Amino acid sequence: MRRLLRWYGANPLHLLTLLGSFALAGYAALQWLPVGLFGIAVWFVAAVIGHDLLLMPLYTLADRSAAAVFRRIPPKLPPVQWINYLRVPVVLSGLLLLIWFPLIFRLPTGFQAATTLSLDPYLWHWLAVTGALFLLSAAALALRLRTGRRGPPEGPASGPEMVGPPPDATPGPSDLHS
Amino acid sequence: MRWRVPGLPSLPGPPPGPTRRSFWRSPIRSPWLTSVFGLMLLATIPVMFVTGLLSYAAYDPDLSPVNDTTPGKGLLGFYLFSWPTHPVWLYRLNQGVHVTLGLMLVPILLFKLWSVLPKLFEWPPLRSPAHLLERASLFLLVGGAGFEFVTGILNIQTWYKFPGSFYPLHFYGAWVFTAGFVVHVGLKLPTMITALRSRSMIRELRTGLARTRPEPLDAGYLVSPAPAAPTISRRGVLAFAGAGSLLVGLLSVGQSIGGPLRRTALLAPHGQDVSGGPGDFQVNKTAAEVGITASETGATWRLTVGNGGQAAQNPVVLSRADLLRMEQHTASLPIACVEGWSTDNQAWTGVRLRDLARMAGAILPASVLVQSLQNGGAFGQTVLSAGQIMDPDSLLALRVNGADLTPDHGYPARVIVPAIPGVHNTKWVASLTFQA
Repeated sequence: MRRLLRWYGANPLHLLTLLGSFALAGYAALQWLPVGLFGIAVWFVAAVIGHDLLLMPLYTLADRSAAAVFRRIPPKLPPVQWINYLRVPVVLSGLLLLIWFPLIFRLPTGFQAATTLSLDPYLWHWLAVTGALFLLSAAALALRLRTGRRGPPEGPASGPEMVGPPPDATPGPSDLHS
Repeated sequence: MRWRVPGLPSLPGPPPGPTRRSFWRSPIRSPWLTSVFGLMLLATIPVMFVTGLLSYAAYDPDLSPVNDTTPGKGLLGFYLFSWPTHPVWLYRLNQGVHVTLGLMLVPILLFKLWSVLPKLFEWPPLRSPAHLLERASLFLLVGGAGFEFVTGILNIQTWYKFPGSFYPLHFYGAWVFTAGFVVHVGLKLPTMITALRSRSMIRELRTGLARTRPEPLDAGYLVSPAPAAPTISRRGVLAFAGAGSLLVGLLSVGQSIGGPLRRTALLAPHGQDVSGGPGDFQVNKTAAEVGITASETGATWRLTVGNGGQAAQNPVVLSRADLLRMEQHTASLPIACVEGWSTDNQAWTGVRLRDLARMAGAILPASVLVQSLQNGGAFGQTVLSAGQIMDPDSLLALRVNGADLTPDHGYPARVIVPAIPGVHNTKWVASLTFQA
């Protein structure tokens, strides 16, 4: 028995909990037999890899590209940590798109017949919210630059006339890489 | 306790790529950050589970096979209780919370997934049979969460692209997800508590980017051995996730609150006002959509009130004029949809269901089968419970807000019962059959 548990790698309670969990999940999944388990299994797999192997590499790539591109092209970047002023509106707008893309792209064909409501406004609403997010972010960055100019000097990198990337901006968006 | 096949050498070190811990360079990813997101989900996922089960109970599935959207449920669809009729906003609140909270959890879930990503590639991929089972249960957890969120979010947008009817998919999916969730909480709770204690939340909320430092390597697997320079503080990431959650909530909650706030739901299926008149409130099924024609609902329309009980007698047949001559009552009741949207209270006027029961000779009816003119389709018929029939606010409504019902609101007559899911307020009623 002891050898068996050592081979298993955890205590008996661990095994019992997991077996109980699989029993419950298996029992629930069996109720899907009339619907067809294959289609549902595909959805589960898609849900697992959807973020980790699809969304994550895409947003990481976008984040790193933004950092690389904006570092190289004029005008020179402001001497503050600017990447979050770009990340926040992009991610929030993307989040709304991720949730509401069926309405935004007018995909539910029966929507108007069922609800009497039009599918037309959603694209404009999303674009308006996206625009507002970018404006707010730009205003916040402008405010940050102004207060930075008025505030006590933080060293040679804080002046508005400064050209070239500040030392602390060079590593780029390393947090979201990962 | 390495898991080795006897006679074979142990696994070599991780190949280059994401299986190497140094591949992951976030300076703030750590068990602490993951645990903060985990705590948020631990506090809210049970609310999703309970409101989901309550919504299941609200359909009174055991009252009749007619009400049961998951007939193969076995032990999973245990009967909770006969759904009450008061407070009248009960189902409005339940579904408003279930759907709005669900939407608001999307960013939290995504940030949580981001925070634990290196674990997906951990090396060696399998250490022991225990580790294998644990990873398999994560498939239930992550797959189940994704499945529940996606089916729910697509259903409220009426984009029925999932493989089958929404009810069995979302209901059994909830059990699969819960199976993974309970085990995950059980296995990770001690880790979460230790991690939460490892850093002071108050101090973290006072720490800006300039003073943000990576955690020591021994804080856990998620800490990067080669951290890059931080570009966002820990409080920044929490604020980021919180802002996403708040934004999604603010842009959708108006469809559940209604009134002037409905227009604030810029990104929600029922955030638009329905154009003017006494019937200017939301529907999710129109007369045209289900093939109700003017000839069926015109002067020739008759309501058949039957008694299927032991004291069965010939059914009573009533015209709309007959119904209007009966004692009329007005009840102020909302329409609340399983999809989370709802309307303010509307002033419904019509005949009490219990008066119709008495007319049919059913003194103490146990239930009533309500059938619509609708030919087939979902929710063309419903069974209501004794409590629902006997409530003084339960009506066969003929008028709403001082005018005749519009075709889309169920003209010539519809059922309206307090605190019930919207689809059980049957429209275009053709017959009522009481059972003793």
